[in-house]
Amino acid sequence: MMIAALVVVPILAGLLLFVLPRSAQSAAKWIGATLGLGAFAVAALNYGTPDETLVWLHRPFTATFHIALDGPGFWLVLLLTLVTGCATMVSRVPRGRDFVAQMLVLQGAMTGVFVARDLMLFALFWDLMLLPVFLTLVAWAPSAAPDGEQPVRARGTVASPTAWRYLIYNLVGGLALLLATAAYGIVQGTTDVIGRDPHSLATISDAWSLWIFAGFAFAFLIKTPVWPLHTWMPETYAALPAPMAAVVSAVQSKAGLYGFIVIGLTILPGPMHVAAPLMFVLGLIGLLYGAFAALVQDDTKRVVAYSSLSHLGLILLAIFSFDPIAIGGAVVYLVAHGLFSAGLFMTIGEVEAREDTRLLSRLGGLGARNPRLAGGLTIVMLAALGLPGLCGFAGEILILTGLYRAGYLWQTVVALVPVVIAAAYMVRLFQGVMQGPEIDDLPQREDMSPLEMLALAPIVVAIVVLGVDPGAVARSAMPAGSAVAHVAAPGAVMASYSASGQPMQTRAK
Amino acid sequence: MIPQLVIPYGNADWAAVLPTFAAGFAALVVLLADLVLPKHLRRGSAIALGIVGLAIAGLLALRGWHHPISAFGGAFVNGGFAIVFQEIVVVAAIFSLLMAYGLGRDDQIGGGVALMLWSATGAMLMAGAANLLTIFLGIELLSLALYCLCGLAGRAGARESALKYLILSSTATGFMLYGMALLFGATGSVSLAALAGPNVSPALFDIGCGMFLIGLCFKLSLAPFHVWTPDVYEGAPLPVTAFMSVVTKAGTLAVLARFAYAALPNPQAHEILVPLWVVAAISMIVGNVAALAQSDIKRLLAYSGIAQLGYIVAALAGTTSLGLRYAIFYLGAYTFMNLGAFAVVALLSRERDEGSHLGAFAGLGYRQPILAGAMTFFLLSLAGLPPTVGFTGKILILASTVSAGYAWLAGFLILGTAISAYAYFKIVRTMYARTTGAPIARYFQPASNLPWIGVTICAVATLVLGFFPFAPSDVLPLVK
Repeated sequence: MMIAALVVVPILAGLLLFVLPRSAQSAAKWIGATLGLGAFAVAALNYGTPDETLVWLHRPFTATFHIALDGPGFWLVLLLTLVTGCATMVSRVPRGRDFVAQMLVLQGAMTGVFVARDLMLFALFWDLMLLPVFLTLVAWAPSAAPDGEQPVRARGTVASPTAWRYLIYNLVGGLALLLATAAYGIVQGTTDVIGRDPHSLATISDAWSLWIFAGFAFAFLIKTPVWPLHTWMPETYAALPAPMAAVVSAVQSKAGLYGFIVIGLTILPGPMHVAAPLMFVLGLIGLLYGAFAALVQDDTKRVVAYSSLSHLGLILLAIFSFDPIAIGGAVVYLVAHGLFSAGLFMTIGEVEAREDTRLLSRLGGLGARNPRLAGGLTIVMLAALGLPGLCGFAGEILILTGLYRAGYLWQTVVALVPVVIAAAYMVRLFQGVMQGPEIDDLPQREDMSPLEMLALAPIVVAIVVLGVDPGAVARSAMPAGSAVAHVAAPGAVMASYSASGQPMQTRAK
Repeated sequence: MIPQLVIPYGNADWAAVLPTFAAGFAALVVLLADLVLPKHLRRGSAIALGIVGLAIAGLLALRGWHHPISAFGGAFVNGGFAIVFQEIVVVAAIFSLLMAYGLGRDDQIGGGVALMLWSATGAMLMAGAANLLTIFLGIELLSLALYCLCGLAGRAGARESALKYLILSSTATGFMLYGMALLFGATGSVSLAALAGPNVSPALFDIGCGMFLIGLCFKLSLAPFHVWTPDVYEGAPLPVTAFMSVVTKAGTLAVLARFAYAALPNPQAHEILVPLWVVAAISMIVGNVAALAQSDIKRLLAYSGIAQLGYIVAALAGTTSLGLRYAIFYLGAYTFMNLGAFAVVALLSRERDEGSHLGAFAGLGYRQPILAGAMTFFLLSLAGLPPTVGFTGKILILASTVSAGYAWLAGFLILGTAISAYAYFKIVRTMYARTTGAPIARYFQPASNLPWIGVTICAVATLVLGFFPFAPSDVLPLVK
């Protein structure tokens, strides 16, 4: 019941928040933060509890409400609940009660994605997590477009093109996922397959498995997003209120890559190999394009958005290299990127809330008056650019090592370029906001409050801990990773290393 | 010597049609009550008697669940298949009556309720009809009552709606009747089961099937036979629109399914019915694309209904037994989500002003969060998004079309769903978008609070059926 509660309680609480009076913003905020951090504690204490299963369908294929808390999903649930709790705690969004309700529904739905062990249940939560983001984009759309007049629709409502783009992109992906799930169910006879030993499943003919994989991959690529399906992403992150932008960029964008790891690698290894060259091309383009685009953005949120495109491209490469170390690194980097991008969005949100702008061209010199804010931004920025000892480095080094080991030499070299550029755009971001002469027309307000520091602290701690000891996270991917490496390169040395360099498991061939 | 009058039918025959007749008889009771009761009681009594009559009909129908019977020499087959459709008709009619309480003129309510009951009687007859004559009887009973119902509202649009429906529907009936004549000519029988037997001329049989199916497609408002639907839906009073959107479809779908499964042997069905699946695919696209541009909820739901019926017919592709189950399941799902949406519109309606224009929804998410939440939920279900019955129903239809070998139809279903999302979420957006301070609709007391019952029941059903989908089993043997 504990795992089910992780999903159901936030959603119900989100709906019940409407019982509170509209003015109870503070109470709503604390309920949201408590539920987020409470879910973190519950999840952390229930690692590997027995799976919870309930039959959903017998025909035309077996589908179950099968949820479990282990593997990479466990770490992503921890990440999700931590980020949601911390971000909600310092939310300054107007109409706070309604906003916290959306955050809670989002938390429940995304927890569902990561604990689902049945494809149909996965598809259910996958589509469900669209809704709170869409509603937030509609109801909290920025009050004015950055350049000029706010377009007004007939009937007195504010236009929301960003919301539409987000919805249509992700829904099309979700529907492809749905069709692939139905087809897989028909062919396999059951959809209760995530996390199962792939050898216990019937093999699917190539024609079917290719089409099914195409459906899944389309959904995953849109959600991540991967170039060229990313165009919904920068403006969505820019338009979302900072707490939700933190959650969406930190966790929702991970759902696609998580899907490649737990679904693609285990149940559809054949088509994964067929698609690998294409994915390498897309990942490399995304890596470079995102890095260069991040270098020239004026909007700080868009800098982070494009940097995500770059970082997630690296993870895509790692997954499709089928190397156990790279895949372990991919999971570490999934969590790491979640941590530092959440940290970045939270600090940027705090800057924006103080200065009423987040444009680099209008910001500057905040560091002198706001040393604590500058300190917070420094730590997450350093994690983002891959400073050794922090989480970003741990993921990057594992991924690059794995890529090189799997024989992708020039790809590794190309992938190194954005890692260097990351330092450039992250330092540019920090300089633009914190350093330089103080600008007079900025309303200088107080430094970070103790509460805001308290909200950022767990993320900073997690950044450091994951940077120092990523072993447990990296190992969580091993069942999937090792199974695939076996298929991928039967002659290769099957050695998997924990991050500390000790051989963890060695398979003689 | 006086020839002895022999009635060849026994009690069992009459018992089979008892539920159907109960609904028709309830209409007479409603009319009688309308005559004798004082004026201020008429509205309440008409609705109450109508609902009670329908409930009795529904309960009577349930009795026959495990006792399939072929009554009147095979003209009316009662069994699981017929009963499922009859129950859907009864439920839809009851919800429509709940909406009707606050709307329409006092002196029309008795007649309106009676007509609605007769129309439901026709649909219940169609649910069990197993020969061409009974089918025609059911369709005409359904349609004649609806022509009058469409014209009930005083608006000019209502008269246009009624006349348009009358003329176009009669044309379609003509097609169907001619098709029936050709089928009789080809096989020498009007019984659906006998149509599966040998026939004198395959060409005659095929043309007859084609014309018969064209008539059915018109009643189901599948594209390209749908053009009457939006105008008629828009002009008709809201409860009648809600009623039509489900009851007509349920009755006709029963006939279509029985015809496809009972009258056509399997290899033949695969050939003859291919145009029908194409029509279903066209409906999904046309209905959803046209829904994009609508700003009147009734028109939007009309177009969405065209697409939804496309999904249901697609489930029958390949005439598999699973397909029939999921078509019925999705029809039940459609009943709840569609009537739920109509009930929300009814709660936004006043005597003179049906809240069916999109502007009535502006800012609803802040004025009436619960109502807006319910509407969002129904729209999610119509769009096939979780956690609703629409999601589960759609994945079942996808599975059955894919497994029947009609993967292209599944592709169209996905495409149509993707397009429909914009149409449905347009309403969601309007409810939750920030307003610019321009005057928007203010809260007012709805004409009656009865539709809340419909909203609640539909919302619960939409949620629960999504997680515990039960499709009636063993309906297939009872088709024939």
